[in-house]
Amino acid sequence: MDITAVEAKVKEVVVKQLKVSADKVVPTAEFVKDLGADSFASIELVAAFEVAFDIEMEEDSALSVKTVGDATKFIKQACDKQGK
Amino acid sequence: MQVVVFEDAKFDNLYPLTYMRPTFMLKCGHTMLYEKIVRKFKGTKVSYIVRDMIAAFMKEKMGADVINNANQIKSEDTLFINGAVLLTAGTKIELNGGEEIATAANGDVIYARALKGTLAKAYDADITKMMSNLKAALKKVPSEAYIVEWPWNLVQKNPSAIEDDFKIIGKGGVIEGKLHPMAAILGDKKNVYIAKGADIHPFVCLDVTAGPIIIDEDVTVFPFTRIEGPNAVGKKTQLFGTNLRTGSAIGPVCRVGGEVEDAIIHGHSNKYHDGFLGHAYLCEWVNLGAMTTNSDLKNDYGPVSLYVKGELMDTGDGKVGSFIGDHTKTSIGTLLNTGTMVGMMSNVVGNGGVAPKYIPSFSWMMNDKFFKAQKSMETAKYAMGRRKCTMGAEEEKYILALKDMMKEDVKYWVRKTTVI
Repeated sequence: MDITAVEAKVKEVVVKQLKVSADKVVPTAEFVKDLGADSFASIELVAAFEVAFDIEMEEDSALSVKTVGDATKFIKQACDKQGK
Repeated sequence: MQVVVFEDAKFDNLYPLTYMRPTFMLKCGHTMLYEKIVRKFKGTKVSYIVRDMIAAFMKEKMGADVINNANQIKSEDTLFINGAVLLTAGTKIELNGGEEIATAANGDVIYARALKGTLAKAYDADITKMMSNLKAALKKVPSEAYIVEWPWNLVQKNPSAIEDDFKIIGKGGVIEGKLHPMAAILGDKKNVYIAKGADIHPFVCLDVTAGPIIIDEDVTVFPFTRIEGPNAVGKKTQLFGTNLRTGSAIGPVCRVGGEVEDAIIHGHSNKYHDGFLGHAYLCEWVNLGAMTTNSDLKNDYGPVSLYVKGELMDTGDGKVGSFIGDHTKTSIGTLLNTGTMVGMMSNVVGNGGVAPKYIPSFSWMMNDKFFKAQKSMETAKYAMGRRKCTMGAEEEKYILALKDMMKEDVKYWVRKTTVI
């Protein structure tokens, strides 16, 4: 999966899970500060990414990702490693 | 003659209780199954056979020389005893006698007595094969001994096991600890044993009209606790205004409050606050948040089913509560359904509704959704540190291996409940 496709899917999942408008989901947006993700929402978001991309992510590393842009890179790496 | 306590291949029928311990380390009554065997054959050399996966952890915990020690096992005439056997005062297993193998009606080996020469030919590192070899070599005899097959069997047998332990300890009527003059014993004082260092505060009622009470060393029973026998409170446990109804075995080192009935609670587990726990089994290092309550009776009074190895199984019993694996925590206000199986190292967060009847190990359950457990190892180590205990290196390796073994189960439930 190329980075553009990952970026689009990340945005789609974030909009749906965090119930925020798409224009707020920009690479620099922070999940907690800008998108209102509390600890529970963050855990739900990681699970949703795993299901959406059919990948496995190391929980603690995934939860330490702060921005949408970093999440995109993190997921792209996981997709590449896991052949998705 | 030596005694070898063995874990047979059915240990997984007892999951999640046997994830972190061999079958013979399950608690029933005041003692674990193997402690009853060691006590019966006091002065005899005892060693153990466990499944390969748990062997290194058990060697770390009990000593390398007593776990899966083939040289030791082959060196003497041996009485093998199935570690799932619940020894009672009436169980007929003798150390000395002729060579024989005793089996239950379903073919499970209860015990086998074999001379060194026979054992040399029958020995196999695979316990199932060795018992099969011994079945072929030895005279078969029937046995009425009770074998624990399913998790709820331990709860069913707990009251009579406490009564047996009380008789065998033989200290009925002995008060070695402090019993405040304003604490009351209801019934015959011969049905109470209070060990040294125990402290029973005022306004505590020990009701022994229906069975004995064991209060072990350094237990503190705070005011307004009512204990109804048969009941056994393990060393260094603290009871905080607890309504401890009949048939429970708790501790050591537990903190228990609220209402508890017919429950087995392993060491270092806490149910500090109000809430009901009945016909339940908690493994070690479990913590139940305030107002956590389990149902142990369906409203139609019908038999309770619960999940065993992924399948819903009818227990045939109308009173069945929750079975909770090691290091699992529940949040405030968690409601557990009748016959709920909760795995190890899980986190159950109550949301006002009743939690699902199966919660996998190494998972978080929140708002009826499952997630992979976060920081479970760090949490476990921290909880152990609070009680000045440390996780062994082999224990940690074993837990990580279990986590790996169960990751597909967690993944299944996460994906089943995650909507995108």
